[in-house]
Amino acid sequence: MLSMRNISKVFKTDLVETHALRDFNLEVNEGEFVAVTGPSGSGKTTFLNIAGMLEGFTHGEYLLDGVDVSNLSDNKSAAVRNEKIGFIFQGFNLIPDLNLAENVEVPLRYRGIKAAERRRRVEQALEQVGLGARMKHLPTQLSGGQQQRVAIARALAGEPRFLLADEPTGNLDSLMARQVMELLEKINQAGTTIVMVTHDPELARRAQRNIQIVDGQVCDFAASGLGQQQGLRQDQELTPLADLAADFAAKAKASA
Amino acid sequence: MLHIKPILSSLLRSKSGPLLLLIQIILSVAIVANASFIIHERLALMSRDSGIAEEEILSFNVYNFDPSMDMAQQNKQDQQILRALPGVISASSTNMLPLSGGGWMDRLVDGPDVETAKSTPGFAFYLGNEQMVDTLGVKIVEGRNFFAEEIRSSPAESGILALVSKPLAQAFWGEESPVGKIMYQGTDQQVEIIGVIEQLQGAWVDHRNFEYSVIANVDWGGQGANSSYMVRAGAAALPGLKDSIIAALHRENPNRVIDNFKTIAEHRASSYRDHELMVTILSMMVVLLLLITSLGLAGMVMFNIERRTKQIGTRRALGARKRDIMSYFLVENYLICLAGGILGALLAVLLGQQLMKFYSLPKLELIYPLLTLAGLLLVTTMAVFFPARKAADISPALATRSV
Ligand SMILES: Nc1ncnc2c1ncn2[C@@H]1O[C@H](COP(=O)(O)OP(=O)(O)OP(=O)(O)O)[C@@H](O)[C@H]1O
Ligand SMILES: [Mg+2]
Repeated sequence: MLSMRNISKVFKTDLVETHALRDFNLEVNEGEFVAVTGPSGSGKTTFLNIAGMLEGFTHGEYLLDGVDVSNLSDNKSAAVRNEKIGFIFQGFNLIPDLNLAENVEVPLRYRGIKAAERRRRVEQALEQVGLGARMKHLPTQLSGGQQQRVAIARALAGEPRFLLADEPTGNLDSLMARQVMELLEKINQAGTTIVMVTHDPELARRAQRNIQIVDGQVCDFAASGLGQQQGLRQDQELTPLADLAADFAAKAKASA
Repeated sequence: MLHIKPILSSLLRSKSGPLLLLIQIILSVAIVANASFIIHERLALMSRDSGIAEEEILSFNVYNFDPSMDMAQQNKQDQQILRALPGVISASSTNMLPLSGGGWMDRLVDGPDVETAKSTPGFAFYLGNEQMVDTLGVKIVEGRNFFAEEIRSSPAESGILALVSKPLAQAFWGEESPVGKIMYQGTDQQVEIIGVIEQLQGAWVDHRNFEYSVIANVDWGGQGANSSYMVRAGAAALPGLKDSIIAALHRENPNRVIDNFKTIAEHRASSYRDHELMVTILSMMVVLLLLITSLGLAGMVMFNIERRTKQIGTRRALGARKRDIMSYFLVENYLICLAGGILGALLAVLLGQQLMKFYSLPKLELIYPLLTLAGLLLVTTMAVFFPARKAADISPALATRSV
C-alpha cells in the first residue's frame, strides 16, 4: 500500500538546514492500522505530510499503491489526495463558515460528484460518526470530540483506502479520545488502511503495529516491517531497551 | 466547478467585512454611473459644432476717445483697413461675439397685431453687413446674402432684412421655407427673411436657444465710443495679426485704445470652462472611486487569504487544485460585486431621477449603470486575480503545520 525507501527531507532556511527525515524506510500493508510515536520534532508530521503528498521530499522513493508518486504534477497530486487519501488533523481543520454537511461535502465537490450522490454520502458519513442529526450545525456549536468526528466523516465521505491522522486525539480529553479511537478501529476493520501519529502510548498500543520515529528515522526494528534494510545496525536489534534509550539520548544531543 | 452555493452560504455567515464592501460598491456604482453620464453629457455639449470658423476669427474692441470723431465714418474706414491687411479673408464690425457669453437677444412676431401675432422663440440677434456671413464662415443653405447697397446703419430703419439659422427656422416654420416671410419687430417694424444659414450658435453656451440665431443687415459700428470687430484670416496670417491690426488702426488714428484680442475659439474655451472643470472633477472622482473600490477589494482578499491560510491548506489537502483555490476567491468577490453592482445600478437610476428632478439633468441612460457594472467586474478581476494567485500557491502542508 505504502512503500518509502531511503526518503530524506531537508528543510533549508537562511541559517540552518534541518534534516527532518533521513534514510527513512517504511512499508505499510493494505488494511493495517499503524501508530506512529516519537519525541517532538522527530519528524512524525513530516513523514505524514510526505505520505499524504502534502509536501515533497529531497531524496528517495515513495510508492503509493504501487505507483511512484514522487514526480506527479500538482493537479495529479491533488487528485490522488482527493481520491485515495483521507486526512484527520489535530486541530480538526473544519471550515468555520460552513455547516457540518457543507464541510463533509468539500472533498466530494472537488471530485466533481453530482449533488444527489454528494448528499447521500454526506448523510451516510455523518450517520456513521453519530452526527446525522446535526447536519446544519456550525462547527463552533460542537464539542471538540464532535468536531473531530465531523472531520473523520469528511475523510470517510470520499471513501479513501488510506487514512492519515496527525495526533487526532491531541486536542481531546481521554474519554473523547477513546471514542475517536474506537471510531478509527471500526473504520480500519471495514478495510481502510490507517496511519496515525499519536503521543498517547495507550492509544498507540491499541494499533496493530507501532512505529517509533526518532531523529528522522524509524527506529523500532520490530515494527518497521523492513527489518535489516532500514539502516539500523544489526546489533541494535538485541540491545536492551534501556541502552537503546541512552543511545537515542546521545543521538539527540549530537544532533542538537 | 464553481461551487457557488457553499461560497455564498459562507459569505452570508461571515460578519461585517463583505457587507461594508458591498455598501461601498453600491455607492460607488451609483455615483460612478451618474458621474460618467454627466461627463458624457457635458462632453457632448462641449463638442457641439458652432457653425463658425472659430479658429480663424480674431475679435477685438476699439475704444475711441476723440469726441470730435465721426464714429460711423471711422468705423467704415476701419473695416476697409482691416480687410486690406495681408492674409485677411474678411472683416466685420459686430454688435455681439458668438460664444462669448454676452450679446443681444430678441424675438420676432409674425404679424402687426399684438393680440394675434405669434412670436418666435428668443434668438441671438447679430447685426452685420454683407461681409458678416463670410467673416463668421457660416453657410447659406437657402435664399441669399445681403447686397452691399442693402446695408442699414440701425435696426430701427426701414428695409431690414434677416438671415435665420436653420434650427430657428425649423422650430418656428417647421418644414415650410421661411424665405420671403415678413416678420415684425414690435408692431410697425417689418423684417423680411431672405435666407437660411445652416448653423450659427449664439453667445450663451448654456442657453436652450443656443442654436437659434438671426443676422440683420445692419452695419453696427460707430454707435458709441466702443466698437467690436471680427477679422477672419488664414492660419498663416493669424499669429502676427494682432500686431498688424494695432499698427494699421493706430496709423489711421492713434487716439484710441485697441484691445481684448481673442479668437472665437478662445471665447468658446472660456465659455465652456465650467463644463470642463466639471468634467475634470467628475472624471477624477470616477477614477478615484474605482481605485478605492479596487483597493478595498484587494485589501479584503488579502486579509481573507491571511485569515484562511490554514483553511486553504486544508482544502488543498482535501484535493483542491490551485485553480479551485483561485476560483474560490474570484467567485466570492464576483458574488459581492455582482450583488453590489446590481443594487448600485438600481440606486444609480434612483439617484438619476432625483438629479433630473432637482437639477434638471437629462434622464440617466441605462447604458451607464450597465457600463459601470462591466467596468466594476473588470476592476474586480484585476484586484482579486493577483492575491488569489498567491493564495493558490499556499502549500497543502499548512493543513498540518499552521496554527
Ligand atoms: N517548514 C519547515 N521549515 C523548517 N523546518 C521545519 C519545517 N517543518 C518542520 N521543520 C523541522 O523539521 C523537524 C521535524 O518536524 P515535525 O513537524 O515533522 O516534527 P513532529 O515529530 O511532528 O513534532 P511534534 O510531535 O512536535 O508535532 C523539526 O525539527 C522541525 O523544526
Ligand atoms: Mg507534528
